[in-house]
Amino acid sequence: MKPAFSIIFFTVASGAGLGLLSLAALFDVLAAGRLPPQALWRGALLGLVLVAAGLASSTLHLANPKNAWLSLARVRTSWLSREAALAVLLFPLAGLYVALSARGSAGFARVLLALVTAAISWGVLVCTAMIYASLKPIRQWHTAWTPVNYVLLGHWSGALLLAAIAAAYGSPPRSLAMIAGAIGWLALAAKLGYWHATSRGTPTTLAHAIGVDQGVRGAGASAAARARLLDVGHSRGTFLTREFGFALAQRHANVLRGVALVLGFGLPLAFLAWGNGRWEVTLSIAACCIIGLLVERWLFFAEARHTVRLFHGDART
Amino acid sequence: MKLGLLTDLDTCVGCHACAAACKEWNASSKVSGPLSDYDPFGADPSGVWLNRVRHFEVGEYPASKTVNFPMSCLHCADAACVTVCPTGASYKRADGIVLVDQDKCMGCNLCAWACPYGAQELDEVQGTMKKCTLCVDRIYDELLPPEDRQPACVLACPTHARMFGDFDDPDSDVSKATAERGGFALLPELGYAPVNRYLPPRAPPPVVGADEAKALLERGLASLASPAIRR
Repeated sequence: MKPAFSIIFFTVASGAGLGLLSLAALFDVLAAGRLPPQALWRGALLGLVLVAAGLASSTLHLANPKNAWLSLARVRTSWLSREAALAVLLFPLAGLYVALSARGSAGFARVLLALVTAAISWGVLVCTAMIYASLKPIRQWHTAWTPVNYVLLGHWSGALLLAAIAAAYGSPPRSLAMIAGAIGWLALAAKLGYWHATSRGTPTTLAHAIGVDQGVRGAGASAAARARLLDVGHSRGTFLTREFGFALAQRHANVLRGVALVLGFGLPLAFLAWGNGRWEVTLSIAACCIIGLLVERWLFFAEARHTVRLFHGDART
Repeated sequence: MKLGLLTDLDTCVGCHACAAACKEWNASSKVSGPLSDYDPFGADPSGVWLNRVRHFEVGEYPASKTVNFPMSCLHCADAACVTVCPTGASYKRADGIVLVDQDKCMGCNLCAWACPYGAQELDEVQGTMKKCTLCVDRIYDELLPPEDRQPACVLACPTHARMFGDFDDPDSDVSKATAERGGFALLPELGYAPVNRYLPPRAPPPVVGADEAKALLERGLASLASPAIRR
């Protein structure tokens, strides 16, 4: 799949924003007083801003954005529609929560809105991930590892951002670093599990796609059950070759995987274990993690092989 | 009702007449509008066109065969593009035809990602997705003579490798041909239930084996030496 920067930025930014938003809201409800309140509402606000920036970026991907408002029409069947509907629901409710939190109002409304904000944030995370995971023609995406990764990576980057903000308003509690670390290790395990699972998956072959097992055979009874592309039928690129024809050599993919692991997990986890807790350093580490996640998301697209590539000559997906 | 296309892989010669006829019909069709060209007379022309014809070699030389493979929208009974479309632009009609409503489409490309066969294509000029309309404005046009109320690709094919009909009707030509020749669907395991069918090439007569060739040659040589035949 062609890695489009607008979509990569959208998923990483909105994932981090949703993770940050839900963690800030949950800390507010479950661990009141552990984190400085100025940090909590600013964290939630930053989360909301990141989600808004991500969604704005995603509309850049649209070729006909004037119809974007219609994307709320098919929540019954379309994950993209469900994501759009929940995002629309999120902003007023989370905005109200941030306003109540900033004013310091204590009360049931704030607790309720915090829980609702966290719940809707998780809903948006899952729906966004399911847009990709529901696509059967892309076997690298069509796995339960996709939504698991998306939710964990969003919370990982969100946790680091929350730690950075908490550090700016006083020394962050040990519990936040431990929770962030736990999420980070889980996210790392999920990423490695995803790469392992996709390397073991059963590919679809060109021979099967054009029906060699249905009678499309060579001459004679003992004809080999093999197929290859002779001519693709066009002398220039097409929409399909541009959108789905991106190919990444395995040796380049391996280097980029290493970069994603070091920047996205290695450095931040090391910092959480041994870091000094100053907010400038924490923020840089959070930025480093997000750069690593941008690389990871780029790979998520670049390593995906759509079945339409078989009809363009790929031997297998 | 399941309107769709039947393609005979035995008869298709890969001439692309169907691709050209499709583009020409859509140029004046009001259903999706013309299929845009990008830089058609320049150094790197490209553009929107449906009905891709690719050429494959099956088997191994010398027992190999060229198979020409036209592919356009298979008008799936459980179309993935209809399920994932957030605006409802991609929809399935009661007669089975899957269409894209050009007034609703926002060009998000998700239908193109969801379709395993590459049937949906973005028209960058119009910003909407285009696909085979099964010439819905031809097949229901009362002003055309009945024999012309078929998709443009079916009428254009010089070897009559394409047929149009209702796969839900067991007495239609397409259903009968599918049953007789073992017509198959593409990637059925994905569960989208494509309606279009492909007829596999007919098994060619067996090539004479080495032993038979030798026996024929010996008979021929023996007839030369026979005293019964005067020369």
